[in-house]
Amino acid sequence: MNMEMKKPNEQQTTLEIKNLVIHYISDDEVVKAVNGVNIEIKAGKTLGLVGETGAGKTTTALSILNLVPEPQGKILSGEILLEGRSVLAMSELELEAIRGDKVAMIFQDPMTSLNPVHTVGDQIAESIEIHRKVSKQEALKQAKEMLELVGIPSERSNEYPFQFSGGMKQRVVIAIALTCNPNLLIADEPTTALDVTIQAQVLKLINELRQKYHMSMLMITHDLGIVAEVCDEVSIAYAGRIIEHGTLEDIFDHMRHPYTKGLFDALPDIGARRSELKPVKGLMPDPTNLPSGCPFHPRCDYAMEVCSRSVPENKWLSETHCVECHLYTDTNESML
Amino acid sequence: MDETIAKYTTRKGFFKQYKKKSRLQEIWTRFLRNKLAVVGLVIFVFIVLVAIFAPLIAGYDTEAIRINVPNRLHSPSAAHIFGTDELGRDIMARIVHGARISLVVGCAAIAFALFVGGALGAIAGYLGGKIDDVIMRCMDVFLCLPDVLLALAIVAAFGTNLVNLTIAIGLAFTPKFSRLVRSAVMTVRGIEYVEAARAIGATNTHIITHHVLINCFGPIMVQVTLYVANAILTISALSFIGLGIQAPIPEWGNMLASGRVYMRDYAYIVIAPGMAIFMTILSLNLLGDGLRDALDPRLK
Amino acid sequence: MLKFIVKRLFAMIPVVLAVTFVVFTIMWFVPGDPTNIILGNEWTEAASARVKAELGLDRSFLVQFFHYTANLVQGDFGISYITRAPVGEQLLARFPNTLEVVLGAMLFCVVVGVPIGVYSGVKPYSVFSNLTMVAGLLGISFPIFWLGLLLILLFSVHLGWLPSSGLEDGFASFILPCLALGGNYMANIMRITRSSMLEVIRQDYIRTAKAKGVKAVDVVIKHALQNSMMPTITVIGMDIGTLLGGVVLTETVFSIPGTGRLLLESINKRDTPTVIGCLVIMAVCIAISNLIVDIVYAYVDPRIKAQYGAGKD
Repeated sequence: MNMEMKKPNEQQTTLEIKNLVIHYISDDEVVKAVNGVNIEIKAGKTLGLVGETGAGKTTTALSILNLVPEPQGKILSGEILLEGRSVLAMSELELEAIRGDKVAMIFQDPMTSLNPVHTVGDQIAESIEIHRKVSKQEALKQAKEMLELVGIPSERSNEYPFQFSGGMKQRVVIAIALTCNPNLLIADEPTTALDVTIQAQVLKLINELRQKYHMSMLMITHDLGIVAEVCDEVSIAYAGRIIEHGTLEDIFDHMRHPYTKGLFDALPDIGARRSELKPVKGLMPDPTNLPSGCPFHPRCDYAMEVCSRSVPENKWLSETHCVECHLYTDTNESML
Repeated sequence: MDETIAKYTTRKGFFKQYKKKSRLQEIWTRFLRNKLAVVGLVIFVFIVLVAIFAPLIAGYDTEAIRINVPNRLHSPSAAHIFGTDELGRDIMARIVHGARISLVVGCAAIAFALFVGGALGAIAGYLGGKIDDVIMRCMDVFLCLPDVLLALAIVAAFGTNLVNLTIAIGLAFTPKFSRLVRSAVMTVRGIEYVEAARAIGATNTHIITHHVLINCFGPIMVQVTLYVANAILTISALSFIGLGIQAPIPEWGNMLASGRVYMRDYAYIVIAPGMAIFMTILSLNLLGDGLRDALDPRLK
Repeated sequence: MLKFIVKRLFAMIPVVLAVTFVVFTIMWFVPGDPTNIILGNEWTEAASARVKAELGLDRSFLVQFFHYTANLVQGDFGISYITRAPVGEQLLARFPNTLEVVLGAMLFCVVVGVPIGVYSGVKPYSVFSNLTMVAGLLGISFPIFWLGLLLILLFSVHLGWLPSSGLEDGFASFILPCLALGGNYMANIMRITRSSMLEVIRQDYIRTAKAKGVKAVDVVIKHALQNSMMPTITVIGMDIGTLLGGVVLTETVFSIPGTGRLLLESINKRDTPTVIGCLVIMAVCIAISNLIVDIVYAYVDPRIKAQYGAGKD
């Protein structure tokens, strides 16, 4: 049980989150954002974290940098191990040292993620200055190289964010994230705010750079298409829990959880243009007032009596594939 | 067909009514949750009650106005809670009656400003174009002079009676309201329900009064509260420098002005009237802040 | 940038002229015959007519206004009814005192108000922050003249530390007037800074900065401060006008021989040219300070600066 001991034969684990619980506590309500999340990312691999808005994805991501908004956001329990070191036990100084260096994050909305009063060059260089301990000039020089790398002419480093388009801003955000060559890249819906054509470019860029620098990545998205393109493994989040996890193949071809199935049913099928979409019925539960038992049971077509009573346990169906659903509690057979 | 229409209209009517009520209630509950705002409301209601029942609390002619030299400069005591002034008048009586002047002139001036400025702003914002330009440039010129100075100039030219004072302060605040209402109207103007009203042939006046102004009501009320505080402050400031309410009429500002001379030896003479101004302004500021927060759920 | 400033300076001229017109019109309604004031006991029908002709008072309103502005452009504010001396000389003698008090008050507002506002905005749930919020509310509710009287009571009458009137004691005599005049606006600036800091600190780009590993102090200084200053600068700009209005009160309370007192004295003596002169010079001050605020804006916000830059081409 000693966390520090790493088995030499096993592949290195970049990130391990165990049973993470995060609630936002304000005067009159408690938002149960994350309710026992388990995540593991091996070195050089990409995990897709998929779920609807409000499933606790962003909160989970922020907790890796220990940046859950204070003072409402409280990490109540769980463990976050970054290359074996507990993030939650780190001092503010240690945290500042890993943020932007070991772990970097690409944020959802490039429009608001850049400081309007600093040039993009300065904003990229800042990260280099902090972590590489180089002079301002040197940092600016590297920042310009970084801009070129993400496909922006280096002359534009003296310009301000408002002079850039949305796609260009997201490239700048990516440049900021990648500039110190992090071991773990967290991409929080990096393409949601962009046009479809720009989305593809940005995604391609992230993927190329990730492979070039052998980074691990946590790709947060609600777009299964993106998952299929860039991820090695997939975790499906629902109401602050990981309800199904597996390799790309496990999830896409052998999905087990009714919610996962619902997600795929909701995708338009290009081969059958006339068929109607089948959205998952109902809405995401109110995180201040989660249903008892399995949080999905009110929307589930397969709900049984037991589902409203107890939370299903995590059931490993194979080496790589696990699911949290009462349908599989007693049996290994697929019922879907 | 009739049935469907009836169902549609009644349901919509029911929904609208239900929604309207709950929105006001929602604002009220949010307001009550803000302790400072409630304190402001309580203080302000108290001051208003004092002003209304002033004659019951202290006689105007007998205590607030009549000079009683043997009684002069008595320190606060059971008989005179706030003491007596340099002419032997009860300070408490003068403050109580002064509340009437401050509140009436303050509210009247802002009502004037709201009416005139609001009308100009609504016209400018709704019609736009050249008319907007002309009106707003004129208002900008007035905004170049601070309200105390503008009111001061008007009072200096026209004399310092109560009506002139009210109009002077009202005029000083007019440009602020025209700007406020104009920007509110401009934002509401483009919204669909106004377009819809125009599409069914409503007149401009009808649209401005029934649709546009009603929806600007909230933010305007907040500003009204804060500007009433400012107006009351302006009255007492003008009275303090001798260009507002004139002696012997009791007014908080002129009480401070006449008491100033004696304050080195009788400090209490300037404490109570100043406190009265301070509490009034504070209560209105608290009220205005509370209203603003209650109206804007975002700021929760 | 220079071109912009020059352009704005020229744009000020019609505004100042319009203000002059408004003030001139209001003062036109001052009742009574000015020659009564000018001549006093020597008033005769003939002398009155002579003075009126001499000062151009017998001409129509528009002609008088035209003459006044024509002289004003050359820096001539006319002749005082009372002292018979040029109004400009009096303004020149008195205005520096006013300016010193206003600038002192401004300095006090900014130096005290901004840091407190920033700190309490960065730590919005702390005891300090709640205290400053309450103090701010109390502060904006203080009437200037009452605060002035209270300060005199405490620091001159009771403690005897500072002079209560006049300017004879140099720096010491400016402290209380600046505190009295600035107290109110300090509270206001503090509140605005606090709320804009609260707003800025939860922006996405602050999160980006933190995720880069920027130290907490630098997040505030390098990333939040400049962004949060814009509303504060607006308020400072608007407050200059209010401060100039308040200076009339401060100068009365502390018996300072400044423009504000001159204005009051002139109103009481019906010395219309001096009244107009005082109001015009204050309006010019406000116009200039608005221009300065606009320039500072451009330095704080690159978006505005770029607009000016575009105007240059």
